[in-house]
Amino acid sequence: MERRAFIKLTGIAGILAARRAPAFAQGTKLHIVRWVDFIPEADVELKRQAPEASRALGAEVTFEFINANDLQPRITAAIQSGSGADIIQMLWNWPHLYANALVDVSDVAEPIGKSQGGFYDIFSASAKVGGKWLSMPHGVGANAVAYRRSLFNEIGVKEFPKTWDEYRDVGKKLKAKGKPIGQALGHSFGDPPTFSYPFLWDFGGAEVDKTGKKVVLNSKGSVEAVKFLQAFWKDACDEGGLAWDDTNNNRAFHAGEISATLNGASIYIVAKRQKDKIKDDKGEPLWQDIEHAALMPKGPAGQFALYVPFQHSIMKYSPNQKLAKDFLKWLHADANYGKWFEVNEGYSVGSTKKWEDNPMWGKIDKPLQVFRQAARASLMLGHPGPASAKATEAYTKYIIVDMFAKGVQGMKAEDAVKWAESELKKIYEG
Amino acid sequence: MVIERPWKRWVYFYIPLTVFVIGTLFPFYWMLITAIRPDAELYRSWRAVNNTPFWTLNPTLEHFKDLFAKTTFPHWLWNTFFIAVISTGISLFCGLLAGYALARLKFPMAGALGTSIFVTYLVPPTLLFIPLADIIRNFQLGNTPWALILTYPTFLIPFCTWLLMGYFKTIPKELEECARIDGATRFGAMLRIIFPIAVPGILSAGIFAFTLSWNEFIYALVFLSSPERKTVPVGVVSEMIRGDIYFWGQLMAGALLGSIPVALVYSFFVEYYVTGLTGSVKG
Amino acid sequence: MKKPIAGGTNGTVAVALPRPHARPSRGLRFLESERLLAVVLLAPTVVLLGTFIAYPFVSGVWLSLSNTSVGNIGHFVGLHNFSKAWDDSIFQQAFRNTFFYTFWATIFKLALGMWLALLLNRSFRGKRLVRASMLLPFIIPTVLSTFAWRWMFDPTFSVLNWLLYRTGFIVNKIPFLSDGVYGMWCAIVVNTWRGMPFFAITLLAGLQTINPDLHEAASLDGANGWQRFWRVTWPLLKPVTLVVVVFSIIQTFSDFQLIYVLTGGGPANSTHLLATYAYQVGVATGLLGEGAAISLFMLPVLFIVVWVQLRYLRRLEA
Repeated sequence: MERRAFIKLTGIAGILAARRAPAFAQGTKLHIVRWVDFIPEADVELKRQAPEASRALGAEVTFEFINANDLQPRITAAIQSGSGADIIQMLWNWPHLYANALVDVSDVAEPIGKSQGGFYDIFSASAKVGGKWLSMPHGVGANAVAYRRSLFNEIGVKEFPKTWDEYRDVGKKLKAKGKPIGQALGHSFGDPPTFSYPFLWDFGGAEVDKTGKKVVLNSKGSVEAVKFLQAFWKDACDEGGLAWDDTNNNRAFHAGEISATLNGASIYIVAKRQKDKIKDDKGEPLWQDIEHAALMPKGPAGQFALYVPFQHSIMKYSPNQKLAKDFLKWLHADANYGKWFEVNEGYSVGSTKKWEDNPMWGKIDKPLQVFRQAARASLMLGHPGPASAKATEAYTKYIIVDMFAKGVQGMKAEDAVKWAESELKKIYEG
Repeated sequence: MVIERPWKRWVYFYIPLTVFVIGTLFPFYWMLITAIRPDAELYRSWRAVNNTPFWTLNPTLEHFKDLFAKTTFPHWLWNTFFIAVISTGISLFCGLLAGYALARLKFPMAGALGTSIFVTYLVPPTLLFIPLADIIRNFQLGNTPWALILTYPTFLIPFCTWLLMGYFKTIPKELEECARIDGATRFGAMLRIIFPIAVPGILSAGIFAFTLSWNEFIYALVFLSSPERKTVPVGVVSEMIRGDIYFWGQLMAGALLGSIPVALVYSFFVEYYVTGLTGSVKG
Repeated sequence: MKKPIAGGTNGTVAVALPRPHARPSRGLRFLESERLLAVVLLAPTVVLLGTFIAYPFVSGVWLSLSNTSVGNIGHFVGLHNFSKAWDDSIFQQAFRNTFFYTFWATIFKLALGMWLALLLNRSFRGKRLVRASMLLPFIIPTVLSTFAWRWMFDPTFSVLNWLLYRTGFIVNKIPFLSDGVYGMWCAIVVNTWRGMPFFAITLLAGLQTINPDLHEAASLDGANGWQRFWRVTWPLLKPVTLVVVVFSIIQTFSDFQLIYVLTGGGPANSTHLLATYAYQVGVATGLLGEGAAISLFMLPVLFIVVWVQLRYLRRLEA
């Protein structure tokens, strides 16, 4: 074959073989910042997907994982200086907080939501601002009450208690045996709020009314909630919980110090994955003794839950917005998202109802199956009002958490509620 | 010589000193034990019968190995060292010159300038980092060590200046006068006579600056993003703490390894450090 | 051959010296002028600090006077942020905590540091090693050592509780970090542990300049150890002490990392300091204006401290 023709042929063949449609300039980088996942394997999976994404999109995709507590300073500095990562993970209802700096991704979110059975309500509260999707919902970190089946059996309890009064009696007996219930009430971003807010709602208390304009915290329900917790704490809980952050209850549970605690699936998953290191008093692997109750017990006003939603936002300052949108579409393609979802084993559940039917649920251990439809139940900060930036302010100042903490430390319930009310008033009305 | 009875020596000297040493170094012992303790023991309850908080019968180097194999810890060590050395160098350079000028030269606004350099020391970094992020972006220094190398001197220079200023004031003016009668310029006298005498002061300021820069957290967190570029405090905290699980073994291993280089530097210069600070405080 | 002697460009005296030393070239002659030399010497510092502090500081002050929040341009609101903070109970608690924390930590650091310095001032075997090892708490990054302390105080796994329990001193666990009052004292302990070496080594340096003959003379006059300290040592150490105390107050008053890692400000804000609260409001809540205002409350206090110290030093010099 003539040399030129040969080169031409191999040249075209080469392009076809590479199957790359370089839509973006050579050397374009897409930088995504996420938290360091509670499940290390999930991050490993994402890192594995990065080169695949790079090939598919024709640009270099890089993930950066930082401590969840460090997300906000990075976001702040990036927005204020107008430069930084292209996509940043948003927890809770941060899209409301940073609304003016985020790109409208409705054109990415709407189609995916429609094709996957719709997003959970928690996302229309947290990721949608003013009718526009400012974040692409990614997943929900659901929680449940993890408890030791054997310890509950020892005091004759076969089923997880249905009401708070029952739970308190159970806890009393457990604490008498030296294995109390554990709950964090310190200044940490996950466990204390996911307990405090639903607990408040269970008793009929709420921060604001439906309009989100009036502070209604000082109500009979709130005072009762604080009073109940004061008694519950003394009778049934590990009193060190005031100093606990998100990790203490995991450790205490794994060491056999507490018999029940509200947490994500990480207690079970880690116990199983390190079954030769985490054992109970008898030397048996602990994971076999762990059971999950999908929701906390019922209060006089109902049974509520609060989970941590997380989503991805594209920053307005990013020069690669189209690339970022294409990446999000790629990330949520069934094949790719599915792999990440399965690796999580229920720690993070999907953002749409479709993933409830994923075959993974049939294969994983029974205690983990409670998380399957969990995300349907969750409300959002500021309930029943809108999950606005003011609700975020109340959350970051730990007002509800501290209301309970103060009550538990000895302040009169009415005073603790009054204090919280005055703080909330400053936020909502000041 | 002040004569002292043996029992007094024990009560007033040996025992208190031992208590100080134990109290100061106990946490390090604790960190060391944690770093070589196998995971199974780390998860044990405090009331367990075989709980041995103060020693372990199964020491393991797995945490140290994991630190090097599974994270980019060596990069962090190098980055932190590099940044610390250069920012210390810059701060010493500026501090030396500025300290000399403020101590020795008469010029208008000397007092005001000295005070304002010191006032900048009072501004907290937790406020400054936000506008600083802006400047870093303008100079396109984001995610490079230079972002830190140029911002660390903001809290290192005032200290170095003040320390060296005091130090220079203790050096008798006559030395310079003699040198200049001998034909040296003021600048030459500064370089060849004064600075060599001030070496202990320079060393002590340098050591202090090195420590502060090694220790810094928030600027490093905000201005660096790639894992290979991070510094030891930021890297260890990001990688060893995943959500609700602390990898205590590796955390403590990282903490110990992250202090060794500085400790080595200190052990060489501690005597200078001790004598060096003397000069500054007389001023 | 004209050679300037002293005083810069004034009073050059023509002196014919027979020594063939290097003639200051014309270019270097300007370095003789005090003013010009000062400008040259101060230039790097002024440029660096000007760029990286002056602008951010001014920007920070502007932030505090505006209602800027992350991503939103702010408008001037005067002193509204300051008055809002002043009325806020969490701020008031953080304000009180900061004074309490700084006061006690400084006193402990000074007392213990002085004592340790006196001990290290003696000659004994292993002196060098002990002196070097005493600096370790100061060397290790605060973030990391505070984690270690956090675990030592841990509500469930505290080794200190274990020790006290086993040796019979306590029956119930001490709520180190879960009680508001204990929590604050634990923070003070950690701060003291970290800062005492700096005091000790600096004061040691000061002690080494004191002539041992003075002690000799005093003891011959009949003074005992305590009196010797007060009459001889302390007066000579005052300048050193002042320098160290001022630096320490500045660092402790604006302390952030230690509290952030140890307690996050909890439980129920009992260990919040101004710096940690400012960070919480500014960064976690995104209210940059309010966060900046809280930070700036620190400035006048520190300024007064520094000013008092500078005046005292000037009086000493005079």
